[in-house]
Amino acid sequence: MVRLLALALVGFLSSRELAVSSAGDASFKTSEAHSNALDPRLHNGSELKVFTFDYTHVQAPFEIALWIMLASLAKLGFHLYRRLPAVVPESCLLIMVGLLVGGVIYGAPHQTSPFLSTDVFFLYLLPPIVLDAGYFLPIRLFFENLGTILCYAVLGTFWNVFGIGLSLYGICQVGPFGLGDVSLLQALLFGSLIAAVDPVAVLSVFEEIHVNEQLHILVFGESLLNDAVTVVLYKLFEAFCQMPTISAVDVVAGIGQFFMVAVGGVAVGIVYGFIAALTTRFTEKIQVIEPLSVFLYSYLSYLTSEMFHFSGIMAIITCAVTMKQYVESNVSQKSRTTIKYFMKMWSSVSETLIFIFLGVSTVRDSHDWSWPYISFTLFFCLLWRALGVIFLTSIVNKFRMNTITFKDQFIIAYGGLRGAISFSLVFLLDDFPRKKLFITATIVVILFTVFVQGMTIKPLVELLEVKKTRKAPPTVSEEIHCRLLDHILAGVEDISGHWGQHYWKDKFQYFNKKYLKTFLIRGDKQPNSSIVLFYQKLEKKHAFEFNESEELIRPPHPPGDCQKPAPSVSPLLPDELDSIRTILTRNLFHIRRKTPAYNRHTLQRDGNAEEMKEILLRRRQSLGGNLTRKRGGTSESDKELSKEKRLTRSHTVGSEHKPAVEVAKPLPSDIPASMCATGAGGMENGPGLNESTQSPGGSTRNRRDKPQKTLSFSFQNETQE
Amino acid sequence: MGCNASTLAKIHNVDELILETGFSSSHICHLYNRFHSLDKDDKGLLNRDDFQNISELAVNPLGDRIINNFFPDRVDLIDFNSFARTLARFRPVENSPKKEPDSPEPINSRANKLKFAFQLYDQDKDGKISNNELLQVLRLMLGVQVTEEQLDNITDRTIQEADLDGDNAISFEEFKKSLEKVDVETVLSIRFL
Repeated sequence: MVRLLALALVGFLSSRELAVSSAGDASFKTSEAHSNALDPRLHNGSELKVFTFDYTHVQAPFEIALWIMLASLAKLGFHLYRRLPAVVPESCLLIMVGLLVGGVIYGAPHQTSPFLSTDVFFLYLLPPIVLDAGYFLPIRLFFENLGTILCYAVLGTFWNVFGIGLSLYGICQVGPFGLGDVSLLQALLFGSLIAAVDPVAVLSVFEEIHVNEQLHILVFGESLLNDAVTVVLYKLFEAFCQMPTISAVDVVAGIGQFFMVAVGGVAVGIVYGFIAALTTRFTEKIQVIEPLSVFLYSYLSYLTSEMFHFSGIMAIITCAVTMKQYVESNVSQKSRTTIKYFMKMWSSVSETLIFIFLGVSTVRDSHDWSWPYISFTLFFCLLWRALGVIFLTSIVNKFRMNTITFKDQFIIAYGGLRGAISFSLVFLLDDFPRKKLFITATIVVILFTVFVQGMTIKPLVELLEVKKTRKAPPTVSEEIHCRLLDHILAGVEDISGHWGQHYWKDKFQYFNKKYLKTFLIRGDKQPNSSIVLFYQKLEKKHAFEFNESEELIRPPHPPGDCQKPAPSVSPLLPDELDSIRTILTRNLFHIRRKTPAYNRHTLQRDGNAEEMKEILLRRRQSLGGNLTRKRGGTSESDKELSKEKRLTRSHTVGSEHKPAVEVAKPLPSDIPASMCATGAGGMENGPGLNESTQSPGGSTRNRRDKPQKTLSFSFQNETQE
Repeated sequence: MGCNASTLAKIHNVDELILETGFSSSHICHLYNRFHSLDKDDKGLLNRDDFQNISELAVNPLGDRIINNFFPDRVDLIDFNSFARTLARFRPVENSPKKEPDSPEPINSRANKLKFAFQLYDQDKDGKISNNELLQVLRLMLGVQVTEEQLDNITDRTIQEADLDGDNAISFEEFKKSLEKVDVETVLSIRFL
């Protein structure tokens, strides 16, 4: 019912937009008829009108705002009907809305249908999405898999482009299809724009299927990095189409251009990232412009690299990745939240608009349909992608520790969705006889991949997973033991480490800490130990929660304390069992999430923060217990146990008794920085900081008494390390 | 810190280790590098503090116990070989059907994986999980909102379900049986091992 209402609203809005635009047209014409530029508030120059309607004045921004509102209402409408997004991915729904609106506009008389102009797409709609992707990129995972991702992105795209281009050319040569006028270069040009996997589409579809994080980063990283290849090949073939002859020198120049595009994009991104980080170092007094500088610099990096015809996507991603760690340290908490929230907002709106426009632009007059061309395009896209993935994976698996299984390969191949980038690129082509055919073919491929592949990928993923057929709900012991096993796995995985290139990572972390951070991060915010930051945050939180919650931690029973008589072996009542189950599900600690999942709709809330706080406090408690045991127990330790909530208490204990700390188990000297942020940041900083926390910075902290007195406990630890 | 023959040469009894654990030589190399990166003081051995330095373990509720599992009784330092052997238990299980019936059980068999988990519970190493030990682990794994009474209920229920011979404790056999429906081989396997 509500959904109908929402759809009706959407329809009403779009028709109203039509009405106002046509009215706008009409009024524009009449005002032109009066050749003197009369103020519309006057009528025939003599009377003063009480009520005026001046649409042309606000036309452009008004229409833009209406489109954006349409986009958001459409999104709202889908989520009101809860079952729908589970079956049909959002991108499909948005395209359908776009088709609807496009149909309405098409049906209206003298309206030229708006379509996704290339400039609007590349300059306004794409950057927010890519920025959002880059800012929330799981960095450690990304760099661990960088080799594989590059392999897929570069080699895979080359493979696809030439495969699709050449085979399509072959098809065009076949007589009866009547496509002989498509030259080799044009076919290759078409291949270059259709081969690339689109980050927007991939993001929106993969968000809803929950594949393991490695798979996600492979497909997603590939979609981001293949932009360099696409840009180069596209421009190359386009230039070649103009040139009468092509020599070997030109081909070499093309290869050189590829490197320049890629490296140039990255360099531009890094430069802007550092400038942004440096700027935020000084914004202490004017905190309101901090989010602005983040967005501005990223956008500038994109535009600058587009100016040089470098890869804008790579620039903006590099910029976001570079500036993130420094900016997050420098800016205030509110700015951090603002940045994240605005990013989500803009990227969400952008994505919605892109899909709607895709739908709208489909409904046009000028389509050139050719069954063989289009069907073969589709076929070759799928075929070459599958072949490429299989072939490259077999090579890549020789170098990887963590092999990519067949299931993964299938998902990688199947998840190669095309989207709006191909669409815009095809519009950007110079006019030639077969352009309409290319446009139609591109639209068909995009719609097919988004609809068919997008909708079926989720059921296929579930099908491929190992199904555990459970007839009965898990018993209590199974639940408990399984959770135990999960914790074990997480722990052992952490112990065995992640097999990236530790050597380079260590080197970079060292360089980062020694030079970059001191330069780019404000003096009082040097993150010598993120555990310090963490405890600061904890204390702030406690100050608020003190009055509300009950005691946070129960003192642990010493072992052997609760010997119970043998329980009777009577079966429990079913509702008791249920209550046990609910207790368990609600209270069992969750497994640490390694990477934050992308979520288009909200900032991911780090639900684990509470649990981690508890676990850590318990450990501190047991450490405090250790302390008392070593010192033979004093009254301070009792105070410590009874008022665990006030960390200040336990800290002052530590500061008075320095030597005792040496024998106690040292606190883990850093906690992943992500726990500091209220929204889940990147856990990826954690292991990297592992190596860098034993720092002389601890000693500088001791000199600053006032706010840091409470944290002296952990300082002692660090200075002892 | 690459992975090559010289790294392998530094390890004692490399071939024996490879045979016993089933790792390939490149895996051993990577583990060795990891061992060294954990070993801050370059002792060639790891103590408990080195493990504590792994930040994620601090927020794992069972972190301390997992670390203890790496150290056999009363030993405070482990060398690379025992490190590798413990980790070898988490190798994914190969589905090789041909196995001689009298060959020793591979280190990453289901039973050995479960043994690791069992040892987490059984701190006093008497081969049984008593009510008390279970209670401790549960307390570690559960949040604060759970009252003592509820904890006791859950513990009782767990033991009831698993205890077949009525001794009010869970032996290893009973533990294995209670988890027979769970796909332990997949849960306790680390892909890159």
